[in-house]
Amino acid sequence: MLKVKNLHASVGDKEILKGLNIEVNTGEVHAIMGPNGSGKSTLAAVLAGRDEYEVTAGEVDYLGKELLELNPEERSWEGIFLAFQYPVEIPGVSNINFLKTAINERRKYFEQDPIAAKDFLKMVKEKSALVELSDKLKNRSVNVGFSGGEKKRNEIFQMAMLEPKLSILDETDSGLDIDALRIVAHGVNTLKSKDNATIVITHYQRLLDYIVPDFVHVLYDGRIVKTGGKELALELEEKGYDWLTKQEA
Amino acid sequence: MVVLKENNLLNSLSQMGVDLGAKKQAFELLKGLEFPTRKTEDWRYTSVKKILKKKYVQCKEAEEVGLSNEIVPSLDAYNIVLVNGVYSKALSDVNFPDAVVVDTFPNAMEEHDSLIQSTFNAIAKNKEEVFTALNTSYFHEGVFIHIPKKVKLEKPIHVIYVNTKSNVVSNVRLLIVADSFSEVGVVQSFASVNAIECLTNSVTEVFVKENAKVVLDKVQCEEPNNNLICTVQVNQKDNSAFKINTATVSGDFVRNGVNIDVDGENCTSEMNGLYMQKGIQHVDNHTKVSHLKPNCTSFELYKGVLRDKSTGVFNGKVVVEVDAQKIEAYQQNKNIILSREATMNAKPELEIFADDVKCSHGTTTGQFDEEAIFYLQTRGISKELAKNLLVEAFADEVLDKVDSEELRIWIKEKLG
Repeated sequence: MLKVKNLHASVGDKEILKGLNIEVNTGEVHAIMGPNGSGKSTLAAVLAGRDEYEVTAGEVDYLGKELLELNPEERSWEGIFLAFQYPVEIPGVSNINFLKTAINERRKYFEQDPIAAKDFLKMVKEKSALVELSDKLKNRSVNVGFSGGEKKRNEIFQMAMLEPKLSILDETDSGLDIDALRIVAHGVNTLKSKDNATIVITHYQRLLDYIVPDFVHVLYDGRIVKTGGKELALELEEKGYDWLTKQEA
Repeated sequence: MVVLKENNLLNSLSQMGVDLGAKKQAFELLKGLEFPTRKTEDWRYTSVKKILKKKYVQCKEAEEVGLSNEIVPSLDAYNIVLVNGVYSKALSDVNFPDAVVVDTFPNAMEEHDSLIQSTFNAIAKNKEEVFTALNTSYFHEGVFIHIPKKVKLEKPIHVIYVNTKSNVVSNVRLLIVADSFSEVGVVQSFASVNAIECLTNSVTEVFVKENAKVVLDKVQCEEPNNNLICTVQVNQKDNSAFKINTATVSGDFVRNGVNIDVDGENCTSEMNGLYMQKGIQHVDNHTKVSHLKPNCTSFELYKGVLRDKSTGVFNGKVVVEVDAQKIEAYQQNKNIILSREATMNAKPELEIFADDVKCSHGTTTGQFDEEAIFYLQTRGISKELAKNLLVEAFADEVLDKVDSEELRIWIKEKLG
């Protein structure tokens, strides 16, 4: 599904990704772990199409398409979803209306008619129940007045509504209490299928107790320095990153 | 004193219409007044040179004109229509319930002479504002609105000013007297039909008596190339409420002045404005609320979106006099600039002489929130659409202050 080859990316003069390789297939859950500043969030931003990051080398093949050629909205229409570490507050834009617009924009891209109001409402009801998002929050301005946990649940609600093929969760566990973590993880696990894939970017092993990965990658200094199974996360939890980063140095 | 050398505006005018002492006084006063230049503090960012240079024609007869929803909002309201500055009986409603008067000064003076004589020009600032003095000297017949005591008019009164000929100058005058415990909504729409290079100079005086409530919605939907100066002078008495919403949809040169004297206790005053301009449009909003008595609240929210080479001015002054304790006054001006060549000049001012007050003011001028645009894009909303959504959301905060849904929708559609 996703093949990232020798990806180099910079912001300003600073190179952050320095030859990153990763391959993700449908039905898989990949965890990317690593210390602060290793390039985890940069990878997420580059895959989603943020233009502050300049890709200086490498290629990204996504379902046979050159991903880096697409703008962020096209990537979304093609099935990529980024759950933000810090979801943006947008005063005056209603959560529900913007999602309806988003869904219809994608339908337009695939030359489909706009979604029927009845179907949309049914979908909202079903998907919001998944992450226990209240009616009040659904109708409010996007993320405005949401608590940290509510923002993250709203991200997963949007993910459920947009039904992506490849979801990238950027530090979705940060700032979550254990109940919110469980709700978010339940949402992600329920949405998982043999036809989609998930990349979970996280700092801590904690989230991986709830969203169990097939592969764990350690990102350090802009490169994947180790890949293993879910047991690698436990090893990292126990030993920290030092033994890997020292090896690298 | 020399007025301006090249003042074709003054040369285009002649006195006519209603015969009132105040008119003659203003005419005499005008001889000694100067038109503002860029050195005049209140006109620093707005040049009137272009307006004064043009040659205008003055009309005396109301012409026929077809008014569609395209030109001015079709509201469920009592319509009063002035064509090229002249009251059109044919196009205006003439019957009103509960002894409400809406008529020209000459007609209304037959029965309400003393009321008109005691209110007309009583709060207009002829000495300070040359365009007000100009209006007082040269307006045609004026429109008088009187809402008697305890009368609550259900439908709004929609005063439509439409120019149908190019180069028309119209000085239009409106006097609103809302007696105690009365309620009224007045909409003023400024429009033009196949007319360019016009100047409309409007002065509105509003008396909001004890416990009365007046809402004034101003909709400025001139065709491009037209010029508009709108001055609103308000006097509020005890326990009264006044709200003014100003939506500037188009017009190349627009200057709005709103002055409220809160001359009573327990009053609320609200001023809201929305301007979304493009091309070479210039929109200037000057507001002043003077708190003269204690225990009152005023709110102000002006928002603008500036595109292309447009320029904007906001100057909001809040004055709290020494005896006006326990005043709460809040003022905000927010702007989004969408082009490198657009300019916004914002100046909030507070002058507080009382010590027990709660006042705040703030102004922001910026570009789009790039984070928000990227966020919307990652959800599948194109960059263009994301920008439109953000502009709409930005404007909605002001539009929500307009009570009438049909008017709100009309303005929204016009703003695109």
